[in-house]
Formats: sequence, structure tokens, C-alpha cells
Amino acid sequence: MSDLPPASSVKRWLVTTNHKDVGVLYLLTALFFLLLGGVLALLIRMQLWVPGPSILSGRAYNEAVTTHGLLMVFWFLSPFAFGFANYVVPLQIGAKDLAFPRLNALSYWLYLFSGLLMMVSFFQGGTYDAGWTMYAPLNIPEYSPMVGGTTAVLALLMFVVSVTMGTVNFLVTIHYGKAEGMGMWNIPLFTWSILLTVWMMLFAFAALLGALLLLGSDRIIGTLYFTATGTEDSSLLWAHLFWFFGHPEVYIVFFPALGVMLEIFQTFSGRRLVGRKWVILAMILIAVQSFLVWMHHMFLTNINLEIKTIMMATTIGISLPFDLIVFALIYTLVKGRVQFTTPFLFSLGALLLFILGGITGVFLGAVVLDYEFRGTYWVVAHFHYVMFGGATALFGALYYWYPKMTGRMYDEFLGKLHFGTFFVGFNLLYFPLFLAWETPRRVFEYNVELITWHQLATIGGFIVAASFLIMFYNLYVSYWNGEPAGANPWEFSRTAEWAIDSPPPLENWPGRASYADGSLSFIETPSTTHAADGGQVAEPGVVEEFLEVHEPTETEAVHDEPHEDHASIWPFGIGVGLFVLFLGLSGLHGAELQGPHYLAAIAVGVGLSGYALLGFGFEQFHAPEAAIAERWPFEGIGKTKLGVWFFLASDVVVFGAVIGAFIFIRAGMGWGAWETVPPDPLPGLVNTFVLLTSSFTVILALVAAERKSKRGLLGALGATFVLGLTFLGIKAWEWSYEFSIGIYPQTSIEASVYYVTTGLHGLHVVLGMLIAGFMLYRIYSVDAYLEDHRPVEFFGLYWHFVDIVWVFLFPLFYLM
Amino acid sequence: MTSVKLYTAIYVALLVLATSKVIFFQLFDYWTAVSMTMVTAVAKTLLIVAYFQHLRFEPRSLTYLVGMGAFAVFLLTVAATYSIF
Repeated sequence: MSDLPPASSVKRWLVTTNHKDVGVLYLLTALFFLLLGGVLALLIRMQLWVPGPSILSGRAYNEAVTTHGLLMVFWFLSPFAFGFANYVVPLQIGAKDLAFPRLNALSYWLYLFSGLLMMVSFFQGGTYDAGWTMYAPLNIPEYSPMVGGTTAVLALLMFVVSVTMGTVNFLVTIHYGKAEGMGMWNIPLFTWSILLTVWMMLFAFAALLGALLLLGSDRIIGTLYFTATGTEDSSLLWAHLFWFFGHPEVYIVFFPALGVMLEIFQTFSGRRLVGRKWVILAMILIAVQSFLVWMHHMFLTNINLEIKTIMMATTIGISLPFDLIVFALIYTLVKGRVQFTTPFLFSLGALLLFILGGITGVFLGAVVLDYEFRGTYWVVAHFHYVMFGGATALFGALYYWYPKMTGRMYDEFLGKLHFGTFFVGFNLLYFPLFLAWETPRRVFEYNVELITWHQLATIGGFIVAASFLIMFYNLYVSYWNGEPAGANPWEFSRTAEWAIDSPPPLENWPGRASYADGSLSFIETPSTTHAADGGQVAEPGVVEEFLEVHEPTETEAVHDEPHEDHASIWPFGIGVGLFVLFLGLSGLHGAELQGPHYLAAIAVGVGLSGYALLGFGFEQFHAPEAAIAERWPFEGIGKTKLGVWFFLASDVVVFGAVIGAFIFIRAGMGWGAWETVPPDPLPGLVNTFVLLTSSFTVILALVAAERKSKRGLLGALGATFVLGLTFLGIKAWEWSYEFSIGIYPQTSIEASVYYVTTGLHGLHVVLGMLIAGFMLYRIYSVDAYLEDHRPVEFFGLYWHFVDIVWVFLFPLFYLM
Repeated sequence: MTSVKLYTAIYVALLVLATSKVIFFQLFDYWTAVSMTMVTAVAKTLLIVAYFQHLRFEPRSLTYLVGMGAFAVFLLTVAATYSIF
């Protein structure tokens, strides 16, 4: 641990793990990617001023369209929302920070470096150019051969790793760290929206990770998952995996914006949301339903009509809970006294735009209409109204929480001018696209009769861009010269972030927050009365009504928590290392290196990542678990164990997607036509015994740790390590034999699936052994885990999971 | 909870179940063997999860959490495979 430097120091921003700092970093980085994606959008609109080639070549246009989509969907929308989530969620639930602050910083750095990787891809012979949905077979190197194409895939993969870490972190934080007295129904609505978003992300992004691992393998090793010649269902395989992620992703992007709308509508109507519980239930229902509609993106493929009909029905079904939410929002305004501030205007605008986007989407959800609309600008207009329209509320959020983050008010006139310009520009940009719906997507050719609509859209695009210049000017000038905002500039805000200084002090408030007596109070503990550096209400207002400061009781004093750490350089180091490593991997094409510099990058990347990971592992970083908190439904588990279980649940989906891909391909080919790759099941059976035995030794290690037996712990964990090594040795022998008889990953679809699936499992074994090796060293050198055996248990949970995967892989690949 | 005897018994049961998979393919026709093998694999998983990962002794919510992940991939695999027939 090192001390956190002041905010004026660059070092502060490299080492900080504090949720508010990380939130600001997310917001600034996301706005940077908004600018980048926006410039690409303007290029697209300029190109479409007249039909046919003009300023961009065909390839450059494809790259601009693809990268615009990828940047906006992945690197802008969600991270922008999670900037607010980072800053606000811990404050709203009464937590000091996220559950795992260092992991949070790591999420941010992987996000930033994945975005930088995306930018580098432009300079590697061109970036990925086959559409943001990365449909097969255009996604394989035969059709998108540039090195930059592989880099873009790897950038997305790195981004998904970042998202997975963030997801686990937020799930544990919200479920495990709510202030005393804050039950599930009392969670503020923005935090509710983030909670449901991360639940969707946990499973949806895992499916995308599975898909990207297969695509990465096709591009880097040369396997045949998405090669059209492998099986006629290859392109459907990608579509299923991608849209199983992709449809929940629509709500993953929209829910935080919805949460902002719910929050802002309450604050600026001065009224509690009408039907609050029903709105929460409707959001839960949508989160579940979002996983049941994905094939409506595949109506024009050759999937059967029965499944299309089912998905049409589920799609219509998902609009029902949305109707409830929209009416609740409208009725809240009707019942309240509306203040037309800038945040409110953006939220209201978002609602109007989203309603239009939603209604036009119903057309696409009907199979027959989709046959006509698919691949046209109707789709383009619809999803911009939904995704960008929803994100409009996020700009409202920027104005809403700007006073909290900076302590200064923005300029209200310029804010309203921004909204007016934006709203006019938005509709001028996207509404004509409905009228020019016959324009085909993804190409710059269109019927010249539609030219007026396209030129209006281009003008609208520039107006939207100009509106953001007003926003940046306003926020920049206000940062230096804005009126002091005080703790709570809004008359009717009710959530906890408004009860403390703007900006809040490092540890938010002295002591701990509590709602035990029905209103917010801060309970001081002996250590925090000395550490306190803020936490007072600066202005009288509504918050004063529910803010009290309690003296600690004797029981509470027992739960006094030691000082927290807020700084670590290692997340940044891991980010740099993985950036270099992934850049090196992008130079592998069909298992052949495109140049020696890529090999050097791989070597340097492995070295840097390994060094930083070791630094991360050895660092003493204290992020205490709150002694008193609401934890339904995970009481008594422990925050790290809960985090491990969330991670494992997501890994179930990653492996499930990969194994599901095998079943899908094999069923598509005809189950009996599949040729099993290993000639003999014996090595597989022996490895099954080896892994089962290693699971047993891990359990013995836990027993030894509980009994504080160093020798027993070293012996049992050492045996696990040796058994892991044995497993890999047998695997290596088996693979080398298969290579010797000419079976390579590129040989056939059967070989591809066999090598990738068992290889991914083998990679999990290697990761487990690295952790086991690290733990063995710590036991040997500092008698670790004898006083606190929990890390041995956490490692065991992971190792048993790896064992379970093999329980399925052995029969699937050796016996069937 | 940390009974070495219990863990040993489960370990032996897992070894027996693992061996049985190979035997099924010697004794029964292909699809019977496949069905029995998958049932065995699920049984082994339940044993490992319940005892080695001691989910049996944890709050039930953790079981639901992992169950949701398993259900999600089951749904994806079954629905996707069904869609191409």
C-alpha cells in the first residue's frame, strides 16, 4: 500500500482505487471515446451526403461504420453509465467503496487499454471492417485478413474481461454492502437499475466471452469454428452466441439510463415514483425476459419457423413491462410539480426518444415485417432512437451529478441550450432515416430519390456534434467559475449522496451509514472520529431532516474497522502488460507470426503482466468488509467467497457456451457423422482420475489449513500442484501424438473443437497451478493461510470447478 | 463439515462413477450409454458441488446463483440446437 497523492498529481490518477476517482476516470475516458466514435459518425454522414463513393474508400467506409458501432456500444455507452455507477452507487447504498477497490481500478485500466488497442488496430493495415455484429463468416481471416482485425477482436476480448471483473465487483458491493436498514425495496432506483444491469451482464457477457474466445482462436490459431466450409451452420453458431449476449446488451445499455430517468423524474417532480414496487418488478421481469428473445435478430436466417414464432411472442411480451414503466414515469409527472432543469429536460427527452425507438422496434419484432425491414435504415433509425435516445438520459445524469462531483453548478442557460440543440439535431439526424428506410445498411449506395432525407440527416448530425461543444464548454468553464453547489443543490433529492459534501471526502463519511431507525444517520466509531475529514451537511435543506450523527454504542465500537487503503500501482501495471501482450498476439495469424516484433511484444507482455500480477499478489492491500451491512440473500458467506461464486457462475456460462458450440455443430453435422479425435479413451480416463484426486487433495489442504498444520497444507497443496502437472503432461503427450499423426487444430472442425475446448480447460488448469504455486511459496516462506484459511477454500472452489468441467469433457470428447 | 472420512468416501464414489462411464459404452448400446453417462456426469457434479465445494452447507442462494448460470447455457444450447431442425 502507498498513500494516495493529492488530486492535482498525475500519480494520483495512476494509483487510485477510490470509487469516486475511478468513476471520474471512467466518465472522462468514455467521453473521449464518444468523441472518437462521433468523429467516425460524422465521416459516415459526410460520405452519405450523396450516394456513391466520395471522401472514403469502400474499405475505409466499412472500417468507419464498424468501429463507430463497436466504440459507441462497448467503449462509450456502458462505461459512461458505469462512471456514474462507480461514483454514485456506493454513496447511495451507504458503502465506503466498492467491495474490491483494486479490482475496480483493474477493470478501469483494462477498459482504457482495450480502447487504446482498438485505436492501434487502425494502424495495422486497417482495423476490423465487417460490421459491429462481427457476423460469420466475414469475421474469419479469409474475409477480414488485416492484422488490425485480429487486434479489434482481442481488444473486445480484453474489454469483456474488464466488464466481468466490474460485474462481479458491483454484484458483491450491492448485495453485500448496503447500509444497515436498507432492504432490497429501499434501494434507490438508480442503484436498482445498476444491480439488474450487472445481473444481466454476468451471464450475457460470459456468452460473448465464449464467442470471442472461439473467434480469437479462429483468427490466431486458424481453427474452423466460423469457417463456412466447416459446416453450413457456422454462421448461425456466431449469431446464436452473439445475440444471446446482444439482446440483453440492449437493456444492459438502457437500464442505467432508465435508472437515471427514474431518479431525476422523482427529484424534479418533487414526488415519489408512482407504482415504485411495480416498476422494480417490471425491471426484474425485463431482465429475465431479455434472455428469451435473442432469435428475433435472426428472423432472416434459416432457423425454423416454430422458434421464430416463439421468439416473436416473447419479443412482444417484453414490451409489456416497459409499458408499465413508461406510464409510471408519465403519471409521476402528472401528479408532481415539474421543475424544467437541464437534467430533467434530458431525461424527458430520453423518454420521448425511447418511446419512439420502442414503437418502431415492435415492427421489427414481427417476423413478416422483419422480412421487409431487415438490413434497411429502418433498423438503423430504430436502434439509434433506442440506444442513443436512452443514453440521452445519461447526459442528464452528467448535469445532475456534476455539482456533486465538482462542488460547482453548471450554467443552466447553456445546459438548456445544449438540450435544445441536441434534441432538434437528434431528430433531424435520425427521423429522416425512417422516411429513407429503403436505404440498405452498411453501404454508401442508395436511391438518389432519398437524397433530401440523407442530407437532412447529415445536417442533423453536425447539429448534434455542435451541441456537445456547448456541453464541454459549459462543464469546463463551470468547473473553474461555477457557483458553489453546496451539499444539495436540488430541492427534492432524497438519496444519500446529497447528504454529504460536494465533492464528498475520500471515505465519504465518518463512521458508517445506517438506516436502522428509518432515516439516514452516520454512526461514528472511535477510529473514524480521528480519521474524519468531512461528512457534514453544508447547507440546510431537506437532507437535514433525515441526517443525524449518532455516538457509537458499545457493540458498534467492537466492530471498529481498521484504516482502508486507496492506492495501488499494480492494476495500471497489469493493464500495460496485457496491452503489450494482446498487441503481440494480434500478430499471430493462423498460428504464424506476422513479424519478429510481434514475438518481442508477446515476450515483453508476458514479462510485464507476470511482474505486475506478482506485485498485485504480494501487495498488502486492506479493503475491509463492513462489519454491519444488509446482505440479503447472501448473508454469512463472506465478500470474497461471494465474489468467487459470482465469477464461477459466469465461468459456467463461458464454458457452457463453448461446450454448447460443440453440441450445436455436432448436431448440425449429424451426431453420428462426427469423428472422435482422440484414438483411445485411456489417457482421458487416466486424466479423470488425476483431476479427481487433485480435487481430493485440495480438500485435504483445506482440512490441514483449518487444523493449522503447515506440513499438511504444504503436502496436500503440493500434491495438487504435482497432479495438475501430471494432467498437463498427459495432455501434452496426447496432443503430441495427435500432431505426429497429422491431426492439428486446423485439420478439421472436429479437431478444432477438440483442441480449443480441451485447451481452454487446460488453460484453466495452468492458471490454477500458477495460483497454487504462489500459495505454496507463501505457505513456505511466511506460514500463510494457517491463521486465515479462507484463500485455500477460495482456490479450492475454483479448482473443483475446473474438475467439474472435465467431468463433462471426458465423455463428450473421448467416449461419444 | 471437515470430515476426512466423508471426503474420502465421496472421492471413492467419484472414482467409481468415472470408471462406470467407460463400462457403459462396453455394455450398452450407444444412446443408452450416452444417457447413462450424462446422468453419471451430473451425479458427479452434484457430489463435487455439494461436498467438495460445500454448497450444501451454504445459504441456498448460492445454489440458485450457480443454477441460473447452468440454466442459461442449457437454454442457449437446447434452443439453438432446436432452431436448426
